[in-house]
Amino acid sequence: MQAEPGDLLDQAPCGFISFGDDSRIALVNLTLLERLGYEREELVGKHFENILTVASRIFYQTHFFPLVKLHGRAQEVFMLLRTRDGSDLGVLCNASRRERNDSVFTDCVVMEVIERRKFEEALLQAKHSAEQANVALEEQAIELEHQHQQLQEQATELEVQGEQLMALNEDLERQRAAADEANRAKSSFLAVMSHELRTPLNAIGGYVQLLQMGVHGSVTAEQLEALNRVDRSQRHLLRLINDVLNLSRIEAGRVDYRVEVVALKEAVGSVMPMLEPQISAKNLQLDVSVPPALEALADREKVQQILLNLLTNAIKFTAAGGSICVEASSEASKVLMRVIDTGVGIPSEMIEKVFEPFIQVDASRSRATEGTGLGLAISRDLARGMNGDLSATSTPGTGSIFELSLPRKS
Amino acid sequence: MEQDVIQRNNVRVFGNGSQPMLFAHGFGCDQNMWRFITPHFEKDYQIVLFDYVGSGGSDLKAYDPDRYGKLDGYAEDVLDVVRALDLRDVIFVGHSVSSMIGVLAANQEPDRFEKLIMIGPSPRYINDEPYVGGFEQKDIEGLFEMMDHNFIGWANFLAPAIMKNGDRPELGAELTESFCSTDPVIARRFAAATFLADNRSDLAQVTVPSLILQCSDDMVAPREVGEYLRKELPDSTLRVMNAVGHCPHMSDPDETVTLIKEYLGAQAAA
Repeated sequence: MQAEPGDLLDQAPCGFISFGDDSRIALVNLTLLERLGYEREELVGKHFENILTVASRIFYQTHFFPLVKLHGRAQEVFMLLRTRDGSDLGVLCNASRRERNDSVFTDCVVMEVIERRKFEEALLQAKHSAEQANVALEEQAIELEHQHQQLQEQATELEVQGEQLMALNEDLERQRAAADEANRAKSSFLAVMSHELRTPLNAIGGYVQLLQMGVHGSVTAEQLEALNRVDRSQRHLLRLINDVLNLSRIEAGRVDYRVEVVALKEAVGSVMPMLEPQISAKNLQLDVSVPPALEALADREKVQQILLNLLTNAIKFTAAGGSICVEASSEASKVLMRVIDTGVGIPSEMIEKVFEPFIQVDASRSRATEGTGLGLAISRDLARGMNGDLSATSTPGTGSIFELSLPRKS
Repeated sequence: MEQDVIQRNNVRVFGNGSQPMLFAHGFGCDQNMWRFITPHFEKDYQIVLFDYVGSGGSDLKAYDPDRYGKLDGYAEDVLDVVRALDLRDVIFVGHSVSSMIGVLAANQEPDRFEKLIMIGPSPRYINDEPYVGGFEQKDIEGLFEMMDHNFIGWANFLAPAIMKNGDRPELGAELTESFCSTDPVIARRFAAATFLADNRSDLAQVTVPSLILQCSDDMVAPREVGEYLRKELPDSTLRVMNAVGHCPHMSDPDETVTLIKEYLGAQAAA
């Protein structure tokens, strides 16, 4: 079957429209008319711009028309047509200028783009988003750069402070090493001195005893009295030197502990004979309340030494006719022994100082009570050396409590 | 400098006359748009054609987004050409947005210009009660979208290729043929500078006499705009043309030439 050319144009699967330079429509095919919803006589003779959106009219005037006019053709120009009911129709136009019947026309093939337009819109949207994201990223980058700079400044500052601290630390380390060295030198000096002092003192003691015994001839009562005084002074001096020697040994870390199971009641009992003369001389009452089952893990001799020191102090500072109490108890991992006196007590601001070497609470009284001031310092060092401790509480005028704690035999 | 501008703006000078007629193309096109007009004037005038930087055969490397983000940058192009050729008594013929570019240039150096001939001018495209510009903001945004759609291939795929492939000038040539403007990104910025501009406050300062050629049915610059300009531009003449559309110098060169000649003749006689 042969189709008429007019039919072919009308039935073509794309729009066709032809208009003059004044944009008046000369020809429009049925496909485009149907798509736009117009009758043919409604469009022919009207301006082509009437079927364009406002934006497309500008684009037609500024781009499409100059292009066709100057170059004779246009290809793949996207425009939005406006249908009769006012909706938009995205189309691609291919156009060329032709002369017919002494007039020039722009023949235009119009192809609706639906899918492609969607893709393009998605693409433009993506591009737009990317541009916005880019702007945001750039802003973030600037912000980050700013923060980075601040951090760097802070880091530099910290580094400077770090160096200062390090210098300070090194300084302290040096000072500590110097102090340690000085302390070691002191302890070493004291140990040597004590030893050197003891030797002649022992000689003095020995010769005094020989004189007292009359080995070098008989002595008068007056001479014997003088020899007894020399003997007491020699013993006192020797005790002082022994204490100094002990402390310096402990501080120099040169004390060995022989840890064994020590029954506390026995330990107390073993020091009692040494104290009884003084107790009865001052007419003191002594209560010992130590459960026989309590056992500590400690060096027996050191425990005895501590107890002797604590009890000697208690006797020394308790007035005649007063009372002294020794009691013991146990906790989960340690045993506690307390020596409680009814002496003058210790003011609270002095309570810790009594453990410092060469300290006595009342300097004036020390002469009356005779002591080196080293006993408590040595006792605490020994207690700590056995993983225990020694502490004190006191109410001035009422008395003091010294508490020795030692690891408990599990 | 002189030679720089001549090359940068693709300046062409011809004609037998001594008084210069400087033709400035509009948005979306280049100096080729004047080819139906210039033959009628080249016997009596010195014809000066040029392309704005970013259009036609201009030097793309000279494009500065800041300078050409506003119409003042384009006015600088006009003044650069005028100065480079040391033109005096210039008859400035501007199409569409170039009318306002001419106003800006003439306000800067009024002594250089003798007359301004404006084809389809508009000082502001967007309505601003009671001023009628013919468009709403959304219409202009619609135009930007349309440009994006038309330039999508160029802008996203070919433009970078053109930038990178100096050895493939045919790509650029193809684009010029397709849209009369060399770079879609530049065109897009030119569109914004054009359609978002408001030059109403520049009109009262104009001291150079002007001719307003208003097409009878121009949807880009409606009749109200022509009337507004005649009222606001001192020493201005409004001629409403039989020609329709926005480009009478292309759609009806004869009427355009006749009206310009009438204006120039009347001015000469006066």
